[in-house]
Amino acid sequence: MMSIIHTRLMHWKKHWISHLFWFLLPILATVCMIQITNVVQEDSKIPIGMVVKEDSELANSLLETMKSSPLLRVYELSESEARSQIESHELDSAFIIEDGYEAKILHGSRNRLITSYQSNLSFAYTPIREMLISYVQQDTGKVKAAHTITDLQERLQPEAMVSFDEIIAKTNEIQAQENLLATTFSSYNDEGVGMKNDISILNTWGLWAIFSILSTLLLTDWLIKERRPGLMPRFAFMRFTYKNYAIQNLGFYVIAFLLFDGLSIVVFKQLLSESIDFNLIGAIISFRILISTSAFLLALLFKNSYFYYSVSFILVLFLIILSGAILPIDGLTKRFPWLLDANPIQPFLDQTFWNPWLLVPLALVSIWIAKGEKLNA
Amino acid sequence: MLKVQSITKSYGKKLILNQISFSVQPGEIIGLVGENGAGKSTLLNILATLASPTNGNIVLYEKSYREKRKEVRKQIGYVPQDIAIWEEFSVEENMVFFEKLSWKRRSKQELQQLCLDMELDKWKEPVKTLSGGMKRKLNMAISLIHEPDLLLLDEPTVGIDLKSRKEIGNHLKNLAIKENKMIMYTSHDMDEISTLCDSIICIGEDPFYKNLLKEANKQIVTF
Ligand SMILES: Nc1ncnc2c1ncn2[C@@H]1O[C@H](COP(=O)(O)OP(=O)(O)O)[C@@H](O)[C@H]1O
Ligand SMILES: [Mg+2]
Repeated sequence: MMSIIHTRLMHWKKHWISHLFWFLLPILATVCMIQITNVVQEDSKIPIGMVVKEDSELANSLLETMKSSPLLRVYELSESEARSQIESHELDSAFIIEDGYEAKILHGSRNRLITSYQSNLSFAYTPIREMLISYVQQDTGKVKAAHTITDLQERLQPEAMVSFDEIIAKTNEIQAQENLLATTFSSYNDEGVGMKNDISILNTWGLWAIFSILSTLLLTDWLIKERRPGLMPRFAFMRFTYKNYAIQNLGFYVIAFLLFDGLSIVVFKQLLSESIDFNLIGAIISFRILISTSAFLLALLFKNSYFYYSVSFILVLFLIILSGAILPIDGLTKRFPWLLDANPIQPFLDQTFWNPWLLVPLALVSIWIAKGEKLNA
Repeated sequence: MLKVQSITKSYGKKLILNQISFSVQPGEIIGLVGENGAGKSTLLNILATLASPTNGNIVLYEKSYREKRKEVRKQIGYVPQDIAIWEEFSVEENMVFFEKLSWKRRSKQELQQLCLDMELDKWKEPVKTLSGGMKRKLNMAISLIHEPDLLLLDEPTVGIDLKSRKEIGNHLKNLAIKENKMIMYTSHDMDEISTLCDSIICIGEDPFYKNLLKEANKQIVTF
């Protein structure tokens, strides 16, 4: 094995820049794409100003509700700041929660709760105002209902009084259970996204899988470049048969790939806050063996490396569309559930170690070895 | 020594080699001539264990090709007609690369000496900048790394300049005389064949070669 590693490193030394590039491609490309989509997503949020003139529970909870909206980027500032930033169009619009907000709501008064500012360029003013009003109405509605109930109770059975506060607490509870809007948002935040509040559309390991397949295919071109007619007879007179040489090289490539895969885990944890666990590591190892041996088998079929590159790119495009690693294919898999089982990448996306597809290339490589050397290579 | 006994080779119904027998002693150089398609490469490939004869036996130093193919191979140096070297490597890197995969461990000095012996003195230069003659020399040096007893060369001097051709010829002579190797090679250059070879094997039907060989004043076997 040491001799094989030595000879392989001699080849790598001649093309170390391109090799390093392809080995690093899955990491670099995934990080770039995730960061870019996050920036684009962040940029597409609408900037609004909120001025809170009262430090009360209801006022603060309204502010938090607005902040938790994935469509808005909320800046908390003073009225004058808000006005100047509206004029300079840094903010789309601004809303002021006036002093006395809570008291007015509790007394069922609806006048002058919120003041708003907009400019001639405030394209999102109307929908945001509607959104804000609906939140305020929720609060006033709750209060009104509570008043009605306590009134009724006073009149009917004064001994079993439920307090005003208890009713508000109960309605809040019901709201938390039933408010569809709010539960959708909170479920995203619960789902392992961790520290970040951004909801990324792209799946980090799905992207990584696609780029890894591409780089593995392209790096396996050594098999085609080195299987030259003149070179094959030499192996008859050397310590290694050609197949022995090729398999040991495949093994060395798998080891090298795994080192870079390990680096991917670390980088994704640091930069993208991805979590590390044994399932992930197991899934990566079996995925790595799957794609490396498959690329090996594919490359064995080709004599011309440019033709092989073209087929590789087509294959990767096909996988981008059909594997569900990048584009969601829920629509397809709902109609054809067998697609999930037929997809060789699915076990990796599910982060399971066992991938039945792994048996196919392993069996084929074994058959290839067992067939032995051709006499006249 | 090498003993070839009644070798026959046919592809399908096409008979290429018919009942070929000869033997080679250590220190001998044998030339192989014949028109294109006569079967020279086929015979060399069979002697190199890369193809099996349809019939007949070959024995190299008491080892039968049929029974001890693997051990026989360690004693054979085969210089392919296609130049099989790494173009982007230097001469040194090529030698080191193939030494790593070879049966014998050789030091860098020994490898460099192998090249110097045939006047290939460009050690550090990338192969792609070398002349065709230099490449042929390197192609041959690689096949000598494991110190084979039997050296088989398929048109080692085709398409190269006269100087390199002479240098390769001299080297073959040295290998035979000083290192007692058995050498068989094919060439279309009659002058080269008749000055270098101890005996000549002519295969094929073409009377042209047979007549030409009569002038060579050598031991000639025709098939
Ligand atoms: N693998 C093969 N299958 C069928 N015919 C072959 C094969 N290899 C060589 N031949 C035929 O055998 C004959 C001898 O070829 P070859 O030994 O290459 O000739 P030479 O080297 O003397 O020019 C040619 O007619 C060629 O077509
Ligand atoms: Mg030939």
